[in-house]
Amino acid sequence: MAISEGSTIIGESILINGNLNGDEDLTVRGRVEGTLTLTKTLVVEQTGVVRAEVQVKNCVISGAVVGNVTASESVEITKAGRMVGDISAPRVIIVDGATFRGRIDMGEVDVEQGDRPALARAASRPALRSPPRAITQDPDRVEHGGHSEAEPEEGLVEKAPGVKPPAPPVPLAMGAVKRKVIVRRK
Amino acid sequence: MATGIEKAPAPRSGAHTVIGTSIVIDGEISGGEDLVILGTVKGKISLKESLFVESSGVIEADIETANVEVSGHVTGNIAASEKVELKANCKVVGDIRSPRILIADGAVFKGSVDMEIKGK
Repeated sequence: MAISEGSTIIGESILINGNLNGDEDLTVRGRVEGTLTLTKTLVVEQTGVVRAEVQVKNCVISGAVVGNVTASESVEITKAGRMVGDISAPRVIIVDGATFRGRIDMGEVDVEQGDRPALARAASRPALRSPPRAITQDPDRVEHGGHSEAEPEEGLVEKAPGVKPPAPPVPLAMGAVKRKVIVRRK
Repeated sequence: MATGIEKAPAPRSGAHTVIGTSIVIDGEISGGEDLVILGTVKGKISLKESLFVESSGVIEADIETANVEVSGHVTGNIAASEKVELKANCKVVGDIRSPRILIADGAVFKGSVDMEIKGK
């Protein structure tokens, strides 16, 4: 059953130079150069070398790949995998031990669910609402962030309750505080 | 009874490289091992071992190998250093050059045959 349908294997001593298209899984143990387009999974085994523009659904790299890889689902570079080129895929897995040089594009990154919401807010909000904050929120921000500064604290804290606006701007102030923290870290 | 000898004859089971039915290769294939083709290859094939073109295989290429066994379609010239075998129901258009050529009953072939051993 080694030649059952739906599985293509490029053996170790084989070199393919040109365009390769297909609708089935492909395992590469030899060399493929040119372009490689599949609607299923490409597996580059440890002995495999792919120097090609790759367009697949899934890609598992344990050998060497030089060229750009576009996957509609995922790209995985295993611990034996080496790759130079750009990856474009919604899921990219790079295991410890893998070698990779290039850019990765995972498509539209959802800012709301980002790992670092503070960064996302800092990037998105100032453009929209920074003018009001600059005036009304300034004391508030200093109140939170300026504990270490002795001088201006007293005066500003006195001012703050008077100027302090009600509910809506609170998240703004929080955003401002977080942003300030980040600036300090840098 | 229906275990090992069911589908793949002995020589093919040792093959490392298989080009599946839905695969289309446009370019050059070269290598030093057996190659089984169930899909489509255009361009050129040069191997040091055997080439098997299965019934679903379509080749539009010049072939240079040691052995060729054709059950599918081949358009192009075949040069084999050992043997060319055209099986029943195959369809081959092109010239064949090989010291041994077998054409089975039912095979369709158009082209010239040269059994002289050149360049040796």
